Amino acid sequence: MVDYCILYKNILKDGTDWSDGNPWDLFISAYNSSERVNHVYNNIAAKKKQWVTHAEYCYSEKDCPEDSYNAIDFDEAKVIQGIFNHLKLNSLEKLRICIDITGFMRPNMMFMLLYIKHLGAKKVDIIYAEPSRYIEKEKTVFSIESSKEVKQVAGFEGQHNIDNNNDILIIGTGYDHQLIAQVAESKENARKIQIYGFPSLSADMYQENILRVHKASESLDCGPGGNHPDNYFAPANDPFVTANILHEIVENVNNEKKITNLYLCPIGTKVQALGFAIFYLTECVNTATSIIFPFFEKYTKETSKGHSRIWKYSLEFL
Amino acid sequence: MQSDYSNPFQITKAVDFSDDEIKAYWVDFPIEGGFSKIVSPRSAMPMFILGGKGSGKTHLMRYFSYNLQLLRYNGDLLNCINKEGYLGIYLRCGGLNASRFMRKGQPDDRWSTIFSFYMDLSMTQLLLATICDLYNDSSEIALNEEKICQNILKLFDHEEKYGVKKLSELVNKIDEIRKRIDVEINNCAITGSLNVKILASPGKLVFGTPQILSKMLPSLRSIIFVYLLDEFENLNKDQQKYINTLVREKEPPATFKIGVRLYGIKTSLTYSADEEIKQGSEYEKIVLDSQFREKAVKSLYRPFVSRLCLKRINKLYYTISDSVNGVNPIAEFGEYFEHQAKSDYDSTETKELVSKYKPKERPYIRRLEKQLKEAAISGTVCGVKENEDIKKILNSVLCEDYPILEKLNIFMLYQKWSKNNNLVNSCSEIEKSCSQFILAKSEEAEYSQLYKHWHKDLLAQLYRDCDRRMQYSGIETIIDMSHGLPRNLLIILKCIYKWSIFNGEKPFTKDQISIKSQMQGIKEASEWFFQDARSVGESGSVLSDSISRLAQLFRECRFSDKPSEVSLNSFSTDLTKVSKKAQITLDLAVKWSLLVLIPGGQKDKNSKRLDQKYQLNRMLSPRWDLPIARRGVISLNANEVNAIFDDEHSNEFEEILKVRIDRMSAPFGVKQLNTECKKQMNLF
Repeated sequence: MVDYCILYKNILKDGTDWSDGNPWDLFISAYNSSERVNHVYNNIAAKKKQWVTHAEYCYSEKDCPEDSYNAIDFDEAKVIQGIFNHLKLNSLEKLRICIDITGFMRPNMMFMLLYIKHLGAKKVDIIYAEPSRYIEKEKTVFSIESSKEVKQVAGFEGQHNIDNNNDILIIGTGYDHQLIAQVAESKENARKIQIYGFPSLSADMYQENILRVHKASESLDCGPGGNHPDNYFAPANDPFVTANILHEIVENVNNEKKITNLYLCPIGTKVQALGFAIFYLTECVNTATSIIFPFFEKYTKETSKGHSRIWKYSLEFL
Repeated sequence: MQSDYSNPFQITKAVDFSDDEIKAYWVDFPIEGGFSKIVSPRSAMPMFILGGKGSGKTHLMRYFSYNLQLLRYNGDLLNCINKEGYLGIYLRCGGLNASRFMRKGQPDDRWSTIFSFYMDLSMTQLLLATICDLYNDSSEIALNEEKICQNILKLFDHEEKYGVKKLSELVNKIDEIRKRIDVEINNCAITGSLNVKILASPGKLVFGTPQILSKMLPSLRSIIFVYLLDEFENLNKDQQKYINTLVREKEPPATFKIGVRLYGIKTSLTYSADEEIKQGSEYEKIVLDSQFREKAVKSLYRPFVSRLCLKRINKLYYTISDSVNGVNPIAEFGEYFEHQAKSDYDSTETKELVSKYKPKERPYIRRLEKQLKEAAISGTVCGVKENEDIKKILNSVLCEDYPILEKLNIFMLYQKWSKNNNLVNSCSEIEKSCSQFILAKSEEAEYSQLYKHWHKDLLAQLYRDCDRRMQYSGIETIIDMSHGLPRNLLIILKCIYKWSIFNGEKPFTKDQISIKSQMQGIKEASEWFFQDARSVGESGSVLSDSISRLAQLFRECRFSDKPSEVSLNSFSTDLTKVSKKAQITLDLAVKWSLLVLIPGGQKDKNSKRLDQKYQLNRMLSPRWDLPIARRGVISLNANEVNAIFDDEHSNEFEEILKVRIDRMSAPFGVKQLNTECKKQMNLF
């Protein structure tokens, strides 16, 4: 078994040199109004820093940072390819790259990993800054409108089976119960398995998460929390444990009965989504597995207050 | 203690059932020929099976699929399939992940071509896998299996040298081709290229394969190959256009039964010169939940769903699955639920409600007193000029033992008030009618009729006057709430069961389910339905806001002093006069089952014009304390409909609501007393 936990993760402390005296060649971050996103951008040492402003945040051009790559598209593949075309980079083989995923749209972040691997990157450092708290606690609105469509993330589309008698949908649960319900109903015939972010980023966030998931329980067809066999837990800030848990779930379910099609949907923290992407790229390419996501076109510019721990995860592509 | 896992209604979706469970929980519709008559699987005519979410489409389509045919017949399967006359090939369109056949820098027509080929491969693969299973070890196929394979391979325009001799190998080959396409689509996002070779003309595999099988396998000669395509709503417009084309161009012995939600049909166009497929000549259409609601079969819906529920209970608690053949399943099922004890004029129920008040201080009496005082001062009530008049009126309407009759007396008084009648005279007449009605329990014309018409609304008002929520209970109410969507019933029952357990009861085994648990479950299910039954995106919030406004209007009318309509949960309107946006929202509300379009419409009282008639889905009634049964229909003009259903006019709603409700509230728009009334007053 691949043990994802052998990969490095550490906390970057304010007032220290995050690059250990060796600045990254390229740093990419997605701009929004959250303090934590701007804090990381201002404090990182890199030869080239690149802001990306996603169209989903609906910033006017004058409100975007100078030299930002302003995405006009909602298609994750086009956005990411656009960034590297803008940077005039065809190969990343020899570059030390760092990406702050805090402000990224999840599909864009996942496709970014796939694409930098395609461009030859062997390693990448990923940064995620935890919030002190979400603005309205469990009532925080992340996506301004309901998702238009649940669909596969580009490049994570798999090779699916016609037989769907044991389809599985693993949802990394988040705060938005309507999204959870929408995802669950998009794969109505699949058995639903939830991964909760636990331990959560802060103590109260787990309870807030549970409150939100309960509202989608009819779509999930199970009671949230408790001892339901289809509930799993992975730390909200550890992509490697998340990937390990995914491996464990798939192994367990396959032992019961072979999975016909596997759908993964990370709507929890960005770190959790990172764990899903790592698992997919390591174990699921060219299998009957895909990552699905509820896409939307408007996203709240500022959902959190302050920043807490800043994590660095070092990924190595196989 | 029983837990959720012993909840017979835990599973509410057919997709969560195994094939064995689909069979075990099957209940046929109680008409001659049952569901087979409705779906006609042996008919060569294609059919679109529409239905709201939870109307039973998937259960029905899976029942007609090969897997269930297999379970129905343990013996000579081929012989039995011949008897049934069809072979059901079930494909869930959701499994195709159809949204990936889009964008990625490729033109739309390229994607359409690839999807058509992919769809053909998928259907053919499923059909051949079914045949492999059906003819497992059969000598009939062994004789010419290689030849069948060769003939099927000839259907490919670009025949590849596969060297296939067995159908199972052919299934694997088709699977390989399909998966090569998957890889190309997946990589297209990165490479920007889409290298897919189309190996067969559209439709050729789908129609050609059944023809070859029919010709070369004598035991299949007289059967119809039915492609059961479920979840059609998951296909986009171009993809639906391709299926429509297959439906139009269908070749025997193949046909289609297509399951789709009410909102799921995105186009009726075909690729045949962009023409539309024609209902009647090219396909039939049934709307499942509308069928359940139709007058002719409405009386059959209650016993049908009662049997369905009893089957679950019996199987779980009494391990008997086929004992539901009693003559009265509604009564049998109803036994599990506590009923409201019957009493004269609901006296037991209503006296308990008002028990905390002294007779003259019951909230509605005090409100009437206040209204009369204010109106006397402003001169907006006829016949009342001093306190003695008010006392007389209040004494006249009192009916201590029967609060519901008190409410009726006041309602009648409001009627007289709105007509500017002298209330001091009128109240004596009302008091007399009420006494006669109680004493004689007679059918005294007007009073008795008014009681029959209004007592449910007045009871609802009484609950509200006493700060209590309206009661919804009893199996008939619960079934009627589901409004033709069996899944709604299962969800109500699932919630009721949970509350019953929470309240310490032992439902379906020892205890009857209390009225309290029924009410709690019903409220929860109603709230769930409102949250669940809406489209995604911006239109979803427009829809829920519109429904909230409509329900608010109904509620304000129902709880006004003098409601204009009995048991109001429906409205009619001239659709040609309302804004385009309002029309779209109304259409969406029907497609998402939030509103139910009543067949036949409603004749406008004045112009005799036939208007569209809509009923609020009964699942929503408890959320706004509205009636379950439909009786009165309110006619809304274009301005009112726009204010409710067009978000650009929604700021006009409060004013429009006020104007309408003012007409039903004391002093009923009476501005100043007319001369006749003043004369009468001077007589005092």
